[in-house]
Amino acid sequence: MALFITKRLLMALATVLVVAVLAFLLVHAMPGSPGAVSLGAGASQDAIDAVNQRLGWNDPLLAQFFRWLGDAVQGNLGVSLIDGRSVSADLANRLPVTAALAAGATVLSAVLGIGLGVTAAVRGGVVDRAIGGFVGLLVALPAFWIGVIFVYLFAVQASVFPATGYVPFEVSPQDWAMSLALPVLTLAVGGAAFIARQTRASMLEALQQEHIRTLRATATPTWKILYVHALRYASLPIVAGIALQFIGLFGGSVIAEQLFAMPGLGQAVQTSVSTHDAPAVQGVVVIATVVVVAVNLVLELATKFLDPKLRAS
Amino acid sequence: MIPSVAPAPADQAVPATAVQPKSGAKAAMTRFGSHRLFTSPGGVAGLVWLAALMAASLTAPLWLPFKTEDQDFTAVLSGPTAAHWLGTDELGRDILSRTFAAAAGTLGTSMITVIVGVGLGTILAMVAAAGGDRTDAIISRATEIMMSLPGTVIILAVIGAVGTNIPVVMAILGVLISAGIFRVILGQAKSLQSQLYVDAAKVDGVSPLGISIRHVLPGLTNTIVVQCALIFAVGMLIQAGLAFIGFGPPIPEPSWGGMIQGASQHVYDAPWLMVPTGAVLALTVLAANAVGNALGKAPNTTASHLPSAAARRQRMKSVKAAVGATASAPIPSQVVSAKGLLSVRNLSVGVDHGVRLVTDISFDVEPGTVLGLVGESGCGKTMTALSLLGLLPSGVSVAGGQILWNGTNLAASTDKDMEGIRGREIALISQEPMRALDPMFTVGYQLTAAIRRLRKVGKSEARKEAFSLLEKVGIVDAQRILKTYPHQISGGMAQRVAIALALSGRPRLLVADEPTTALDVTVQAEILSLLRALVKDTGMSVVMVTHDLGVVADICDQVAVMYAGQVVENGKTAAVLDNPRHPYTLALLAADPHTNAAEDMPERLATISGQVPQPKDWPTGCRFAARCQFAGSACTVPIPLLPSGASDGLVRCVKADELAVEGLEWVATEVPTHRLLEIVEKDLA
Ligand code: SF4
Repeated sequence: MALFITKRLLMALATVLVVAVLAFLLVHAMPGSPGAVSLGAGASQDAIDAVNQRLGWNDPLLAQFFRWLGDAVQGNLGVSLIDGRSVSADLANRLPVTAALAAGATVLSAVLGIGLGVTAAVRGGVVDRAIGGFVGLLVALPAFWIGVIFVYLFAVQASVFPATGYVPFEVSPQDWAMSLALPVLTLAVGGAAFIARQTRASMLEALQQEHIRTLRATATPTWKILYVHALRYASLPIVAGIALQFIGLFGGSVIAEQLFAMPGLGQAVQTSVSTHDAPAVQGVVVIATVVVVAVNLVLELATKFLDPKLRAS
Repeated sequence: MIPSVAPAPADQAVPATAVQPKSGAKAAMTRFGSHRLFTSPGGVAGLVWLAALMAASLTAPLWLPFKTEDQDFTAVLSGPTAAHWLGTDELGRDILSRTFAAAAGTLGTSMITVIVGVGLGTILAMVAAAGGDRTDAIISRATEIMMSLPGTVIILAVIGAVGTNIPVVMAILGVLISAGIFRVILGQAKSLQSQLYVDAAKVDGVSPLGISIRHVLPGLTNTIVVQCALIFAVGMLIQAGLAFIGFGPPIPEPSWGGMIQGASQHVYDAPWLMVPTGAVLALTVLAANAVGNALGKAPNTTASHLPSAAARRQRMKSVKAAVGATASAPIPSQVVSAKGLLSVRNLSVGVDHGVRLVTDISFDVEPGTVLGLVGESGCGKTMTALSLLGLLPSGVSVAGGQILWNGTNLAASTDKDMEGIRGREIALISQEPMRALDPMFTVGYQLTAAIRRLRKVGKSEARKEAFSLLEKVGIVDAQRILKTYPHQISGGMAQRVAIALALSGRPRLLVADEPTTALDVTVQAEILSLLRALVKDTGMSVVMVTHDLGVVADICDQVAVMYAGQVVENGKTAAVLDNPRHPYTLALLAADPHTNAAEDMPERLATISGQVPQPKDWPTGCRFAARCQFAGSACTVPIPLLPSGASDGLVRCVKADELAVEGLEWVATEVPTHRLLEIVEKDLA
């Protein structure tokens, strides 16, 4: 187990490094030098050159990368070209928003998805087909479209939730929850559909296992076979599916944040890319990767822990 | 939303094990299933929609009522009108025209993702499958890293670098997606690669590349097409998502995501706009998914051991209908009062609305005796055995006859009634002890739970009982075994545990389905002697399903030889084995199981050329005729089961008497070449 964890940690580190290099190269391929971006249109070439010189833009790429990496491990991701604020500080403010969004959506889609999937597998027949059709529809509907519809239904027609905006938890926990409701719901729809499919397939596979017959042969009540034994067996692939889904939901937050005007990481990606703010893009890509990789690592270890075979080794 | 780039949706919808057919030979046969596409209404509808949309979009300039940039200021944000069928947007542009004009670009650029993603994924999978463990490990590791990336964020960073150059962005998206495709395809590519004919091709000097392209790729066709359809849908969604957040084609060019974005700005004053823009995108994604699903639906060969609620209701109905006719048949009087007597009368088992797997079987098992059901696989032994507990797999049910247990007809019992019988009166042990135990729970948990349930005792008493049961089945360190998980013990040990589990309800009848087949020879003997001792101690009776005449000779009092769903000969074990009357029994004996008892089925019975016919191919005459060395013209009519003359035995052969008189012997034949190949394969593996 210790070896396994070490291996995974190294993999995670490698992943982050690969992305760091990738982000660095992409940022350097962006049109416009930092000087041109930060001074805006109409700046003189001399002024632009001066800024570039100050930022070390003309140094060899390798030197620049290691300088950035050295700063990054100390928690300094540079300053924004647009407003001169610290990228690290900005992202630290944004992370809780996206984390709440992605975590909420993951939990909600897990609950809904497992519920739907188990019901479909257990009930079979018409119920199964109905859920299958419903889930198929949800998969096909883009989240941004669903989000707008939710706004229309819950904010315009019935003013249950605020249409846009984010209230920090410290300001008002209740308003915070209300402001998260629609974005979380929007993101969770697609996630729930995927997890429902995964759950249904895993449950059906579990029920094909021979030990289910043994359980029936020893007069185990049906509910116990389904919800203790089969679900336990299916829990491994289901949790693995949820882990994968988290990556998707984290990415989906770009859209949800845009749609609901949430000051999260996704919004930062969108604006920094549009404004060619190199340090910000680089920072947010790396931070997003660290978060996703870390959450995945935890969920993967959880899956391993669920499996008696791997737990023992 | 931008769907997760990392996982391919098909991977999530179907677990890998379900995608890969269990037997390798079958995988090779899974070619492109176009018939599956065309017999699925959803698939056909999907194809039609995609084709129509493409055609409509490409010909758009010819028929569209408006140009995409035409602004009609008299009708801004209008709903559907005669002039604007789908309404207009905030600049008075015709929604219908813009939607269809945008289609070709969307579909076309999504194809880029499909080609790059599926192409790269397939190539990687084929290289990994052909290149050996090291290559495989490297590629797998790399794709794992790719799958754990926040794809959406990276795509946006790419847009930062290359701008909203949609084709390039979609190609890079394809690269990111290829990791998921690789994962889906790898297993199947490997199984194809390792197949016999591929090995044969290798010997013939075809280059590895040749093998991959000529033999592996065709086998992957169906999976590849399924992935193409699903990734096509993903590509469209992601592209629309990007356009929605402002990274679409340059304004004023229409795009679906951009149009939804525009519509979302007017959700307060013109909510209608959301409908046409969203519907076309959703329908197109649905269409692509429908095509993929229609092709990807692998016929599920493994039946559920616990049918769904709907399937159980269905089965109850069909059993009532089938058995209802025979239920009123008088129950033989000697059966009514006998305790612990199993009497099977004219039992038929069949696939629901399909072929019969077992026809008209009758046998009795007296208390304290062992009956052997013997025959090759495919003869219906296991189905017969499972029907005794009402545990037939989904889709298979009793189609007629009676299973009389203490005078009650189990064939007509509800599942609820059977729950009172299972474990308490009739118990089951099966072939693969490892698979028969739940891998997720300890031996102790499984045993105590069964004891508490079946004996209605408390927790501590159940624990004590579990311990003594394990000792009873010959486990020395029972205390330790109770704490282990099934994977931590050996096969023989697991079978002992399974037997202990079966004994936990003090059953009167034990149904044992090939209980020793999966075990080592020495362990086989131990398990058999354990069973013999249990019969003696507890007075229970046993129905022993086996293909091994050695096992029959060892433990059975009575034997019923089964062939193709029928009993062909039965009687006292000694009488049948010493003086076989049916050619099939002769052949089984000639195949001489005693000398190589540890080996597998086909090899042992290799001296009987040919195979048990499929149920749908059973002739009306003698079902053994195709393989029988004594077959003649008299064998083409239905053959009754008649007294064989040897004590109370019965035999189903027109020539039984003749053979007995002439004392003919079964002539061992050459092992057919294709069989030989199989055997060699198995030995090498
Ligand atoms: S009836 Fe004919 S074909 Fe059938 S076993 Fe007897 S001799 Fe062979």
